[in-house]
Amino acid sequence: MTSSKLILMSKDLKKICESKVFESFYKIYSKDLKRFLYYKFGDLNTAEDVMQDAFIKLWNNCKKVPYNKAKSFLFTVANNLFLNIKKHEKVIRKNQIHLVKSNSNETPDFLMEEKEFQLKLEKVINDLTSKQREVFLLSRIEKKKYREIAEMLEISIKAVEKRMHGVLLIMRKKIGKV
Amino acid sequence: MKNNNLHNKDAVFLAKWMANEMTDRDLKKLVNNEDFLTYLALKKGILLYERLEEPLDNSFKIIQNKIENSTPKVKKLYLKWVISIAASLVLFFSISNFFKNQPVLNTTNFGEQKTITLLDSSKVTLTAKSEIKYHKKEWKNKRELFLNGEAFFKVKKGSKFTVKTKNGKIEVLGTQFNVNSNKDFFEVTCYFGKVNVIYNAKEYILLPGQGFRKIIGSKMEKLITTQTIPTWLNGVSTYKSVPLKHVILDLEKQFDIKFDATKINTKMLFTGSFNHKNKKLAFTTVFKAMYVDYKEINDSKKIILTKK
Repeated sequence: MTSSKLILMSKDLKKICESKVFESFYKIYSKDLKRFLYYKFGDLNTAEDVMQDAFIKLWNNCKKVPYNKAKSFLFTVANNLFLNIKKHEKVIRKNQIHLVKSNSNETPDFLMEEKEFQLKLEKVINDLTSKQREVFLLSRIEKKKYREIAEMLEISIKAVEKRMHGVLLIMRKKIGKV
Repeated sequence: MKNNNLHNKDAVFLAKWMANEMTDRDLKKLVNNEDFLTYLALKKGILLYERLEEPLDNSFKIIQNKIENSTPKVKKLYLKWVISIAASLVLFFSISNFFKNQPVLNTTNFGEQKTITLLDSSKVTLTAKSEIKYHKKEWKNKRELFLNGEAFFKVKKGSKFTVKTKNGKIEVLGTQFNVNSNKDFFEVTCYFGKVNVIYNAKEYILLPGQGFRKIIGSKMEKLITTQTIPTWLNGVSTYKSVPLKHVILDLEKQFDIKFDATKINTKMLFTGSFNHKNKKLAFTTVFKAMYVDYKEINDSKKIILTKK
């Protein structure tokens, strides 16, 4: 038996029911799912809530879902949850039109634009030099202060700020008019 | 002029603005309007990107909590179920094993006669104060039972059928025979077929009408009977040259009484019979022939025997 076949087999043998496998699965797909749901709901909090619910559903059905089907199961469940919530909102809106604030104040068009923007942004971030990307991600994702980044990278605060400034210039240039 | 600001080699204000160290209004002073609006949109996009990219560890903890809060109940219940099922299974098996291993015991009381059908439909008739014991579990492999007292066997043809007694062992294949095994007394009579008696490591083969008797303290005797079934089955005990001691024991068993035979010679041999139905008649037939007087003590089951 070739080694590739062995790897294939071991993948199939992975069980979502094992909490370690579940956690690693979560790490791989949680952001994608949240993003997927955000572009549907246009609301981050709802997206995160539904993402959580979808993962709980996956866990509860882990015995029935083989590892290689888990991703599609997860996204299908999430989509169904989205549809249910929308259906429910529609019912509420019909009956108490003045009481309900739509939690999605973004129009589908706007969401599409946002999605496009995000895709461009991701591409730009990937195209940054490693030094620039490092500063950008530490600052924006890791929420580090320029001073902290400077200490970590053993460069001056000014140098960090220059890099960040440069990143924004590149983004402006590459993404262009939003 | 404003563009120059933006691309100045030492410019860092966009970084400051991004880190909220500079207000929008201050930025507006430094760049042209188009750039300003673009940067505002870019910032908004970056903020969304941050939210979409932020680590979801906390969410995972929430998921774990929700799972744990929903499953423990189920798990606990499940565990309880498993424990209770396991416990009941253990109990069930131990009880059934206990009963399986426990021999089946059949006894008769004073004056009682009982017919028992065994698992292979062989029949055993017990006289008064007798008992048989056998293991149900082993019956399939080994037809074997233990007898204390007297019993008549009608054995279905089949594998070896063994009757064990304190005195000896009887092996048959399918016959009718009577075994009387008591203290110091061992008698086997064959009525049909062939009976193999093992006594003191010696084998004695009995044919229909033949009997074997061993009374402790006397020689082994061969008996001959013309009966086809023991007389006691019809309610009459018959003896042929049996020490009075054993007849008295049988009377005690039959009528639930106690004899005081210290004043008579119980070694005298008795030949005759007594009826199980009538106590007075039985006493008379036995003791008159033996020249023994019997006196009942009032309100007790004790009877004193004296020499005439």
